[in-house]
Amino acid sequence: MRRTRTARLALLGLTTALALSACGSDDEGGSAAPAPEQTTFEAGTTMAAIQERGTIRIGVKYDQPLFGERQLSGDVEGLDVEMGKIIAAKLGLAEDDIEFVEAVSRNREPFLQQGQVDLVIATYTINDTRKEVVDFAGPYYITGQSLLVAADDDSIGGKEDLAGKTVCSVTGSTPLERIKTEAPQATVIEFDTYGRCAQAVLNDQADAVTTDEAILLGLLLGAEEDFKVVGEQFSEEPYGIGLKKGDQAFRDFLNDTIEASYEDGSYQEALEATVGQVQDELPEGPPVDRY
Amino acid sequence: MPFQYLDELAEGFLTTLSLTLLSAVGALVIGTVLAAMRVSPVPVLRAVGTTYVQLVRNTPLPVLAVLFALGLPVLGPSFGFFTWAVLALAVYTGAFVCEALRSGINAVGVGQGEAARAIGLGFGQTMRLVVLPQAFRTVVPPLGNVLIALTKNTAVAATISVADITLRSNALITSSADPLGVIGASALAYLVITLPLGLAVDRLEGRVAVVR
Amino acid sequence: MTQTRAPLVVLEGVVKRFGSHQVLTDVDLVVGAGEVVVVLGPSGSGKSTLIRTINRLETIDGGRIVVDGQPLPDEGRELARLRADIGMVFQSFNLFAHKSVLDNITLGPVKVRGASKAEARDRAMALLERVGLADKAGASPAQLSGGQQQRVAIARALAMQPKVMLFDEPTSALDPEFISEVLEVMKGLADDGMTMVVVTHEMGFARSAADRIVFLDQGRVLDDTVPGPFFDGTSSPRAREFLSKILAH
Repeated sequence: MRRTRTARLALLGLTTALALSACGSDDEGGSAAPAPEQTTFEAGTTMAAIQERGTIRIGVKYDQPLFGERQLSGDVEGLDVEMGKIIAAKLGLAEDDIEFVEAVSRNREPFLQQGQVDLVIATYTINDTRKEVVDFAGPYYITGQSLLVAADDDSIGGKEDLAGKTVCSVTGSTPLERIKTEAPQATVIEFDTYGRCAQAVLNDQADAVTTDEAILLGLLLGAEEDFKVVGEQFSEEPYGIGLKKGDQAFRDFLNDTIEASYEDGSYQEALEATVGQVQDELPEGPPVDRY
Repeated sequence: MPFQYLDELAEGFLTTLSLTLLSAVGALVIGTVLAAMRVSPVPVLRAVGTTYVQLVRNTPLPVLAVLFALGLPVLGPSFGFFTWAVLALAVYTGAFVCEALRSGINAVGVGQGEAARAIGLGFGQTMRLVVLPQAFRTVVPPLGNVLIALTKNTAVAATISVADITLRSNALITSSADPLGVIGASALAYLVITLPLGLAVDRLEGRVAVVR
Repeated sequence: MTQTRAPLVVLEGVVKRFGSHQVLTDVDLVVGAGEVVVVLGPSGSGKSTLIRTINRLETIDGGRIVVDGQPLPDEGRELARLRADIGMVFQSFNLFAHKSVLDNITLGPVKVRGASKAEARDRAMALLERVGLADKAGASPAQLSGGQQQRVAIARALAMQPKVMLFDEPTSALDPEFISEVLEVMKGLADDGMTMVVVTHEMGFARSAADRIVFLDQGRVLDDTVPGPFFDGTSSPRAREFLSKILAH
């Protein structure tokens, strides 16, 4: 994979720039490190408990460029991480008080149910099955399933061209399940990372990688001559913030925080610093769903 | 409630079973050849055998599996993922079979080999007719452990798109949102293979125990 | 001396080292067909090493060894063929532990000589008869006494119809009550004209069965003579010293 080195270097460069600007002035100021706020919460709420504890544990992806990707420095970067920082700031916590832990698709629910993390912000699609075991705030970002193919492959223009083709996605993911119904005549293979799926396409072991477009853009980053993203999005993936089921007050707080971030511009800054690397036209923050 | 998922894991179970059987055969063949190389009088063969064991045994299996399934195709060979999984498991487990056998061979007295050579048996015959049959008896328990480990190690196939117990249960976890139940069911499915294997090894051990 | 007999085993200037330790120094030895040569010497004198070089269980670092006119080949098929013609009996019997008495004896004839199973079996039974163990054919080695095991080992070697038999301290690992049964078998072989090289501490056997005595000390041949003079005190001073220690009790 040729992608990663340049991509990582670019992101590392960005980190430095953000850090410098955060130190410098508060105009412009990059997305990261919103200043902690001094708010008090009603005793007994999760917010109060977190504030008292002085740390918040957030499950994020470690391998999703643009959303949650762990850098060589050990820092995790991406939109999900930025959302975590915005929430932490609202709780009166500094950036150093956030403990990011790796959440992979299959351990997100147990993490929340067993209280190993306070939040999961990990390209976590809101759906009804999951709502039975966890609750969601948001969405804070909406993407949709799409296809990544070899740059020189003109035989696939969208999901309708997948019959007889081999499509790769990640074990346990929503896109994997969906492609089986959207393209029933395609052979579906699965790996535990999208990077491996991309390698399979390079090896001619697969014809396409399918998942949320935002993630495909991450794969494309730095490998534009190898791959391209094709076709219309064929799903709506609202990324939400997962929390323990039944904590209404916490969920309201999170939804309020997301809405506030739309209004005070911190959301747009976060988006620009992350997804903005590969997309010129950035979407508005989607309306939160207070179900 | 793990039991409700067992039905849906049946196909994966068969895949795991055939992964286990095929790679066990491969590992036994590779391991036996390697062990013969490692105790052979030819220095080059010994060196090759030793290098193989050190390289393979000290590489994590998940790395080896991905290296086989996604790395080797870069160099040309193209197989299905099931075949790659069998190859990776056989190559990996072969190193452990070799070491188990070698310890068994070393446990067979030098005199046995000398007596065999003294009546005119060549190196291959000495191994095949005299040393290995005795070595196999002493290595039934360690070899059994290697095979049980192999059964569990087949789970690595799930990482290279082979629809075994583990991969099926991963899919079930997503669709059922009941990770613990599904994981429990898959643990049961593995036990269905490993427990009888363990019992068989125990019985075999009793049967072949050499009278000395 | 029996120089008139055709030489079957010839060692010329044989040198053997284990690391920096020289075990055999310029050993010359000729064994004629039908001759019984007993090798004597204190422990550590190199007797076992010497006899093991004859079928190349030990390689040599100098000199040469010729068996039946053929120099010992390197490890490989040639050597295996030659070894089949050289019977060897070990101190610790080395019967194949996983095979019955009968299978121990038939393995070589079937796998090396290409004899049929029936043929090999008949011959094995005859040999067992000869060593007095016909009733033990189906037994496993572990069920036999040491003396019985050693007699089976002799039968196993004889089954190959060897040109020469090597005995490497065949009675040293035996309880005293089993020694004579093995020596008797060996004596019978000698009487039948088998060519034999025997490393042993059994002076009675050496005196009565040997055509020649070779005395080895610190890897060198000090005496190579007929038994009479050797035991009557005309041997080397080292040999006399050795004999006085052995015969003192």
